Amino acid sequence: MAVAALIAAQALSAADAPTENQVQAVFLFNFSRFVEWPPQAFATPNDPFVIGIVGSDPFGARLDEAVHNEQINGHALTVRRFHSISEVDNCQILFIDRSEIGRLGQILAALDHHSTLTVSQADGAAQRGVMIQFATENSRIRLRINVDSARAAGLTISSKLLRPAEIIGTDVKE
Amino acid sequence: MAEIIGRKGFIATVILYGCAAALAHADNAASSISELKQLNVEDLMNVEVTSVARHPEKILQAASAIQVITQEDIRRSGATSIPEALRLADNLQVAQKNSHDWAISARGFNTALANKLLVMIDGRTVYTPLYSGVFWDVQDYVLADIERIEVISGPGGTLWGANAVNGVINIITKSAKDTQGLYAQAGGGSRPEDLADVRYGGALSPDTQFRFYGKYFDRGSEVLANGDSASDSWRQGRGGFRVDSDPSTMDKLTAQGDVYEGHEDEQTGGTSNTSGENVLGRWSRRFSDTSDLSLQSYLDRTHLLNPVAPLSVGALQLAGAGLLQDDLTTYDVDFQHRFRIGAANAIVWGWGFRYTHDVVSNAPALAFLPPTLDRDLYSLFAQDEVALRPDLSFTVGSKLERNDYTGFEVEPNVRLSWLLNSNQALWSAISRAVRTPSRIDQDVFEAAPPHFVLLEGGSDFTSESVVAYELGYRVQIEPQLSASVSSFFNHYNDIRSTTITPTTLLPFFFANGLEGDTYGLEFSGNYQVSDPWSLHAGYTLLKEHLHVKPGQVDINDALNETADPQHQFSLRSSLNLPRHTEFDAALRWVDTLHTNNGPVVGTVPSYFELDTHLAWHASERLEFALVGQNLLHNRHPEYGFPEPTRPEIERSAYGKFTWRY
Repeated sequence: MAVAALIAAQALSAADAPTENQVQAVFLFNFSRFVEWPPQAFATPNDPFVIGIVGSDPFGARLDEAVHNEQINGHALTVRRFHSISEVDNCQILFIDRSEIGRLGQILAALDHHSTLTVSQADGAAQRGVMIQFATENSRIRLRINVDSARAAGLTISSKLLRPAEIIGTDVKE
Repeated sequence: MAEIIGRKGFIATVILYGCAAALAHADNAASSISELKQLNVEDLMNVEVTSVARHPEKILQAASAIQVITQEDIRRSGATSIPEALRLADNLQVAQKNSHDWAISARGFNTALANKLLVMIDGRTVYTPLYSGVFWDVQDYVLADIERIEVISGPGGTLWGANAVNGVINIITKSAKDTQGLYAQAGGGSRPEDLADVRYGGALSPDTQFRFYGKYFDRGSEVLANGDSASDSWRQGRGGFRVDSDPSTMDKLTAQGDVYEGHEDEQTGGTSNTSGENVLGRWSRRFSDTSDLSLQSYLDRTHLLNPVAPLSVGALQLAGAGLLQDDLTTYDVDFQHRFRIGAANAIVWGWGFRYTHDVVSNAPALAFLPPTLDRDLYSLFAQDEVALRPDLSFTVGSKLERNDYTGFEVEPNVRLSWLLNSNQALWSAISRAVRTPSRIDQDVFEAAPPHFVLLEGGSDFTSESVVAYELGYRVQIEPQLSASVSSFFNHYNDIRSTTITPTTLLPFFFANGLEGDTYGLEFSGNYQVSDPWSLHAGYTLLKEHLHVKPGQVDINDALNETADPQHQFSLRSSLNLPRHTEFDAALRWVDTLHTNNGPVVGTVPSYFELDTHLAWHASERLEFALVGQNLLHNRHPEYGFPEPTRPEIERSAYGKFTWRY
């Protein structure tokens, strides 16, 4: 199994390499499986599982494609886009585009007491309290995970994500 | 010095610029989202991505003439060596002299003793203090493990120090993390006759990965104009390792080393033996995305045994044939620290120390005296990039170096980059760089005393210098179409001349009697015609006007420090065909080269040449490729004075298979 997957990875890299955004979109989808939300994260068992994007959308149709026809514990995955944090209501995952990084403090404050997994590709986002930050190193997508932030929101991140990730603490200076 | 900067400052922005070409690949992989979803998390993290503008504004804003050769570019070119891969950089002049020797420079001065380019492999400077040049024959690697090659034309003295007069080449190999598993390649043809690469990467612990590699090739002789063999065949083997470890979330450790040995038949008779070994360690600590430090040290030893032909003037032989042996040991340590002051100032500073111990065993016809020479080099630099406005950034910095030849040298630069809008930018720079003396400038004797000395180094030889004025423009016209133009005006002073002893005429000796200007431009453009087809075009213009300074004498009439084409043009096509097949073609045109033998001008005729690469990915693991090089002529010269002994480069082809597991 591991071997088969390895081959697939190489096949992909040998052909036209995917873009950062494609891989990040697939990561966002994967997060829905490797993070555990508390039951109160959904108002009803039929609520959709919402991946929100605040700020400009770097993914285009790729994220929609990644979650198309997918569901998790009976919650259908869906993507919603928000212009600003004031529009954001119940999201299980919120992707904060770097265009919103200037308002990061506001956004995180608004999500306080929500079980929302925050994700961003902005430099230094994990140090500033975002739970998962995408970073590109050596043409690979790396994850930087702020475990304390996730724990504070009642989220449990699977060791499958944590093991290959870089664990980041919140920078007290920020 | 301070090579590491590249890795953090320039390069983060640069990779992206290089990949702008790949931008249009973004939408081609409709099926790959579903393929990517099949991967587990760790494999997903191992997928190589083409980075579409992590900071598009920064890519555009890089305030220097940078080009990046990616791993994919190298693979699809069919190159078998680093010099061949460097043909992919539009801002270089690359000429193959014979089977094993190359002349490579940026913005001119590409003589047999070209000395104005600084070349580094993973932060290790690979120039020879014998003449400040690069022995290209011994710089090699498993090309598949090279992550990218950054080519910066224009001075880089502030960051990289002496020798970065006309350009800097940074060859960066992949982290051991990214070269896991087995990679094997084997093949051969008319040239190279045999080639074999093997690499194996594994993990020592979850945080520590390693790789070992070996490479061997055997290349036949090139030919003379009359079709006879140039008797310059060669073979070389090398091996090495790299270990990368992340002991904590902030720290990274790297250790790497290489050994090589090669044998090269020389046209003048005999065989040169080359060998070397190096080991490098690096520790870096990352405090945040804008603050880090690194400390690097290496030990590098090279050995050269070269047959030297007799020295004759007409029928008179001044000294007989012999062997020149050079054993060089370099010890180098470098430190660099990056941090911010407030939101507007990004500071980088560092220091370095290098010690070289050079031991020459002299030939009758060519000698370096004293035979043993120890040199120390100290350097210190600082640079501040100030964000004047979100769209305007100003950089100012300088290097201060102390060397044993000329004492202190200052290499300052100022740079400005202005983002006109989200897809075009202007940059400009004024910089000074120096080439400090090397052993040939001061210590050379041709022939060795007590033989009659015809030419010797100048004991007063001082640094050559340049002040460069650059202006560049980059534009992303459409997602599929991007272009960049860099223009420069360089004023050189104290360039090497060969002058006469006032009373006795002989021996000739080296002095700094030349000055002059060069100017030109470099164009590079990428166009994604359709999903599977992309085109790349490059052009350089170079005008050189060197002259003898008033009151000085140069027996070569200011002709011997240049050997460059005025125009160069290249066009490359990269096509993905059905059934996992790829076809690539690279056409180049190089203008007439004025190459000189003393004050006598000879030429290398202008030429068109074509390289092709046809590959079939039979499965995920197995790839077959057929490569044709220099297909348009039976043979053509690329370098050298027109005489019957000038080697010419033959049409060649080879096939290979590559296996990844």
